[in-house]
Amino acid sequence: MELSDAALVDIVLKGESEAYARLVARYRDRYARFALHMLGNREDAEEALQDAFVRGYRSLHRCGDPARFGSWLLAILANRCRTAGGRRARREKRFVSAEDRHYAIALDHPADASAWREEIGRALSRLDADQREAFLLKHVEDMEYEQMSVVTGVGVSALKMRVKRACERMRRMLTEGEDAPAR
Amino acid sequence: MRQHDETGNTPLADETLERAVGELRRPLRVNAALFDARVMDEVLRAPSGVREHVERLLRPRTIRVSPLLALAAGMLFAVSVAGSILYVLPGRAPRGEGTSAERSVVARDAAGSPIVQFGFVAPHASSVALVGDFNNWDPKATPLHAASTGGVWSVEVPILPGRHLYAFVVDGTVWRPDPAAPQATGEDFGEPNSALTVADPGMR
Repeated sequence: MELSDAALVDIVLKGESEAYARLVARYRDRYARFALHMLGNREDAEEALQDAFVRGYRSLHRCGDPARFGSWLLAILANRCRTAGGRRARREKRFVSAEDRHYAIALDHPADASAWREEIGRALSRLDADQREAFLLKHVEDMEYEQMSVVTGVGVSALKMRVKRACERMRRMLTEGEDAPAR
Repeated sequence: MRQHDETGNTPLADETLERAVGELRRPLRVNAALFDARVMDEVLRAPSGVREHVERLLRPRTIRVSPLLALAAGMLFAVSVAGSILYVLPGRAPRGEGTSAERSVVARDAAGSPIVQFGFVAPHASSVALVGDFNNWDPKATPLHAASTGGVWSVEVPILPGRHLYAFVVDGTVWRPDPAAPQATGEDFGEPNSALTVADPGMR
């Protein structure tokens, strides 16, 4: 039987921690995609996503509306993605080899990656992080502005402006080869 | 150019951007087993607000014993065991149905006999009963009462000093030992029982 988010949250809060795995399975792939697009590499994406799920579990009793667990978790993930830059900088100083770690988030083999996909990734990475977040939530995750406001804590009008500017910059970078950094 | 996409969201009004978004929406391949194992390993190991929440629900509370209950306990046991204490059984982290709170003395009756609180977590059960040598293994004798939230069932029972065997009966049919207590050897009726020892300090 397919239990609702609210039912699963209720079961976990009653002590059946293992039931949390069903919530992880429900949101894992979609939110892995969001994290990867936000952070641009699978190591940071995987770390942010795993961290978000664990933090979500630890504070599950503070989830005000269990029926909207997905949005609540995405808010945690978005926050983790925003702060991932600092972690990335520290990790680069430690110089951990990427080959030493088994990744759960798989990328296609580099030989399969099209130039078009690389171009999109470059364009996304050059957006301001706030604009990238708003663009992905709106156009990739198909969220309404009201939902986005709940997830990001940013007002609707500001989000609309970020999406508008992100679209303009993405279009220019993808069609005209604009290469300037964001802002 | 389309006016609305399949989700009803505002179209991007740009073919290049729409192609880019289509690419970004491609599902990502995730090694589910590896990722889920990592998350759940941390979830099940880490201290959590969830567990604290459950433990708060399970924490024994001090109760006031009414004169009627004290009289009933006195009649039931008719033996003075003033000063008795209960060996607290080893507990473990709550894990859903079958999880049991530690057995604790929550009060004493008029004769000083300890009243022990039994708790059992069964979020989906319609009834839970305590059966043991102290109530002739009668599933109707000692029903547990469900808390308003948390799926926690509990009951307070006067227990004489000595070693007792007991179990929980869920929904009238399913015999469950107490996960927090040692399993008794020499099982009755082929069903697993738990052991509880109440000792009089004077005997130690």
